[in-house]
Amino acid sequence: MATSRDDFGIAIRSALLQRGAKQKFSLFVLILLSIFIFSLDNADLKPVKVLRSLINDGVYRISAISSSPIKFSGSTKDFFVNHIFVYKENERLKTELDELKSKNYETLYLKTENDRLQNVLKLEKESPYKVVNAKVILDKNSPYLNSIIVNKGGNSGIKLGMPVLNQGFLVGRIVEVNFTSSRILLLNDLNSRIPVVISPEGYQAILTGSSKTKPVLQYLPENFKLGDKENLIFTSGKDGVLFPGIAVGKAIFEDDSVLVKLFSDPDQINFVSIALEQQADIGAR
Amino acid sequence: MALIFKGFKETILRLAPLLLLIYICISEFHTQFYYWEIFSFNLQFIIIYYWILRDPSILGYGFVFLCGLTNDVVLSLPLATSAMSYLFVSLVAAYVRNATVRTSLFTDWFTFVVAIIIGNFLYFFLMNNFANANLEYSSVFYNSLFTFLFYPVFWGIFELYKKLIFVRSNA
Repeated sequence: MATSRDDFGIAIRSALLQRGAKQKFSLFVLILLSIFIFSLDNADLKPVKVLRSLINDGVYRISAISSSPIKFSGSTKDFFVNHIFVYKENERLKTELDELKSKNYETLYLKTENDRLQNVLKLEKESPYKVVNAKVILDKNSPYLNSIIVNKGGNSGIKLGMPVLNQGFLVGRIVEVNFTSSRILLLNDLNSRIPVVISPEGYQAILTGSSKTKPVLQYLPENFKLGDKENLIFTSGKDGVLFPGIAVGKAIFEDDSVLVKLFSDPDQINFVSIALEQQADIGAR
Repeated sequence: MALIFKGFKETILRLAPLLLLIYICISEFHTQFYYWEIFSFNLQFIIIYYWILRDPSILGYGFVFLCGLTNDVVLSLPLATSAMSYLFVSLVAAYVRNATVRTSLFTDWFTFVVAIIIGNFLYFFLMNNFANANLEYSSVFYNSLFTFLFYPVFWGIFELYKKLIFVRSNA
């Protein structure tokens, strides 16, 4: 028994301290160094923050360059797939066109209805926000985190918590600001929590990310049921950070819970607009 | 000239696992696939564990540490979170290398469970307690499970690759 304990001790000590073939550092030293760096990073010291911001900017650029082969192969694959299925696509589009023609009157009605609803919600057809447009430079997801990095940072007036839009729809909020880059926490991230309002009834809820493509609506009123009409989700602005009335998605009932089909697919984002502030003269227009 | 070229080829072959690890940490390479949402695996753990266990001269601890730091920056995690979990995976691999005389796929595979548990537990603990991030037990569990299941596949690929390096360097 004592011998086996000795063997374990010797093997673990050797693993920790031995540098072996071509190893410049022992594991023990590197683990201690990791703990030191981790503590420094968690101490929230300003010099460390500035240093991390600089490192982030550098690493994001390198990362964006090194990711270009993956992006290129992805777009090449899409290009070929699109061309292979072009005939099928054409047939489908013809059918869709016929359907759309027949739905023309319905669309006109819906447009009028939409205009009316937008007036109710004080939404403008033009962007009611002062925005900064940015390009997604890195879209690296871990199994647990869904976030993207854009090429605009603190030097463009971006601040923590600002809402991020894609084609006018909310996709996330800023969670990290560097000098020339920022990180956006997407709505489907596990840590994303956004106060929302469900139209047309006006119920309040929290939109919670679930690491899946459709986030969940939580803290709904008791005996909540989805209405027969489309249940659209808008930001409520209750947190005092996000502006109210930004369209998010459509509520659907799936897997015994109320999920939200986002208007903007989080996997297909190339450009975003970061809303810096709400236009002051919105009511005058 | 031929000797220089041969030496260059050998160096590239020996550097390939390290370059792969760096590339995975720094690029948009995804190990999570949305067509099946629970499916994700940790390729970094597999690379680190295999090469530290089978041929530590190819993958240095210092590089493992740097790759961890890079991964933390790219994923915006507290610095050294991944580095620590990678180093603990390396520690288990180094221990198994010291404690065993003959290794096979099955010994590697089953000792890899210990490495995954320690690596992912450390990651989960640090993320939940220091990063204000809420990780789900289930996603960590599925990640660990698929990492474990995929190990033999990569073991086979890396074994072939190791033989290729050996053949080249002895040719």
